[in-house]
Amino acid sequence: MLDLWLSGFLGLMQVRELAFLGIGMAIGVVFGAIPGLGGATALALLMPLTYGLEPFTALALSGGVMGAIPMGGSITAILLNAPGAAPNAATCLDGYPLAQQGKAGLAIGAAASANSLGGIIGTISVLAVLPVAKQLVLLFGPPEFFLMTIFALVTVASASRRQLLRGLITGGLGLMISFIGYSDVIGGERFTFGTDYLWDGINIVPALIGLFAVAEMINLSAKGGTVSRAVGTVVVTRMWSGVLETFKHLGTVLRGSLIGTLIGAIPGESGTVAAFLSYSLTVQASKDPGSFGKGNIEGVIAPEAAINAKDGSALIPTIAFGIPSGAEMAVFLGILILHGMQPGPLMLMNNQREIYGLVWALTASCLLASSVGLLFVRPLALITLIDADILAPLVLCVAFVGSFSVNGEIENVIVTAVFGILGYLMIRFDYPRLTVVIALVLGNTTERSFRQSMAMSDGDWSIFVHRGTSLVIIASIALTLALPLLRVLVRRARSPA
Amino acid sequence: MRRVLGTSFALYAPALGLLLVTLIYLAVAYRYKPDLRAFPAGVAWIMVVLLGLDLVSRTGTRIGAALTRWLNPGSVHLGAPAETQPRARQVSAVLWLVAFAALLVLVGILAAVPIYLFAALRWRGRRSYRACALGAAGATLFVWLLFAVVLRVALYPGLLFGGA
Repeated sequence: MLDLWLSGFLGLMQVRELAFLGIGMAIGVVFGAIPGLGGATALALLMPLTYGLEPFTALALSGGVMGAIPMGGSITAILLNAPGAAPNAATCLDGYPLAQQGKAGLAIGAAASANSLGGIIGTISVLAVLPVAKQLVLLFGPPEFFLMTIFALVTVASASRRQLLRGLITGGLGLMISFIGYSDVIGGERFTFGTDYLWDGINIVPALIGLFAVAEMINLSAKGGTVSRAVGTVVVTRMWSGVLETFKHLGTVLRGSLIGTLIGAIPGESGTVAAFLSYSLTVQASKDPGSFGKGNIEGVIAPEAAINAKDGSALIPTIAFGIPSGAEMAVFLGILILHGMQPGPLMLMNNQREIYGLVWALTASCLLASSVGLLFVRPLALITLIDADILAPLVLCVAFVGSFSVNGEIENVIVTAVFGILGYLMIRFDYPRLTVVIALVLGNTTERSFRQSMAMSDGDWSIFVHRGTSLVIIASIALTLALPLLRVLVRRARSPA
Repeated sequence: MRRVLGTSFALYAPALGLLLVTLIYLAVAYRYKPDLRAFPAGVAWIMVVLLGLDLVSRTGTRIGAALTRWLNPGSVHLGAPAETQPRARQVSAVLWLVAFAALLVLVGILAAVPIYLFAALRWRGRRSYRACALGAAGATLFVWLLFAVVLRVALYPGLLFGGA
């Protein structure tokens, strides 16, 4: 056990790996600071660039990005009231009022240190759970895997900004797309229309670049103006006092980290849920709840600790079951697949060094990003003032050329453009994109495990209710689907007649 | 705009578009042998039901309102997020993207990148000719260095210049 931790750590302590970790961290802080970009876009753009790298180096780069995103996001949330990523919106609630009171440094210092502590606690939890996850995954046969993929789609759909129906629809759309190509389960091609390119199915990398990076750039172009509209005065002092404040509120850090860890392990539950839940529980636990929203330092510490703790535990469903917990993890899953690592039991057996290396990379990145973030607060805030009409064409160039470079097929460019427009239409008409991605990734696993289950049982559907694990998953699916209705009924019962 | 069941017809468009795609998908699926089509057709039929529910939830009827409350409480006003974006800008943003993709396919990467960047910076970004030329040249150099030199990717020459 200890030798695996050590092996992962030593693997990361090579000059090349450290260099890529640093590059990833710098990219993560910058992308985290720009509202609308975030981790999924950064990873989608980097994905093709990792192609020529060793798997371990690619994971160091990805870990660097993922660990640093929250720090970048919190800087602009505090200084400009423009959260870099959605979870940082909770930081705005008290971070921006603090900045308006001239205490931006205090807030940023607290955010950076809460980020680091949250990241460390998240790492400890993932290191503790990974050995157990291996045993747990071995309990899963094809019927359980089939049910788990359905469960993942349903939870992601239900967590999609309270849009269960639209989440299910986009999940269905993703599944439909995933069936394009040659089916090695049955033997025969589907929906290829005689095109050789489609024989292998839709390549996940260009599709993800389109859905995230390109769609966001179209959206940014359509909006126009600068990335951030609120231009505050960037005055930063007393950052060390902020760091000390975090240590004065260790209970808040622990509570936030625990919430982040638990939420991160649930597929579909995003950092936003973790951040706001942590914030609201801190308000409830406070002796002075009225001070929140007006510049209470605990209102910064609580969400920041939760956001980074979540990143570690979000790796568990992604690596153990191949079920990503969010958009960032979905793109990261694409990177794993690109490097020949198939998430699930096999990865837990064969790629332990890489997994532990990744966990260390995430932790190192969040610690480094917190320090570097503190040094570059002003320039990071100024990035958000770049004109969208300049930023979008530059990002699009890298996105399209990157998509082509995955395997040197120009058809990738067309796939990226199509998915970019699809992604933009989904933003425009308020359909969640995450379920499309999850379904695209899980489509083949769903069909394969269903077929394997049917073959095992000679077509007897009762195989899906034979084992306790299956029954627990079925009950969870039913509960997730019934939750919106239960919410309405509870609200109705509570409201005065 | 014409109203159907208390809702503007345009608000049904996304669900109707998806329904049309699903029906075409189903029609194609039924051309395959039963084993091959079973899973895709099953998913497509479920999609038809879900899209039916989506369409009903968009109506201004009591059933529509109840469905929205239960299944889509997050969507208060359909199409609301885009209200702030002028339609011309939306169409233009998509067209610029399509034009760039077409350029990449036709004339290849090393020609398409500077042409697109120069044009986008000039007409969308309203920058001076000098700034546009510098920006386009710098970005093309970056793309060439990163992809062709560092990553050793053979950059696509374009259909018009011998690309396949």
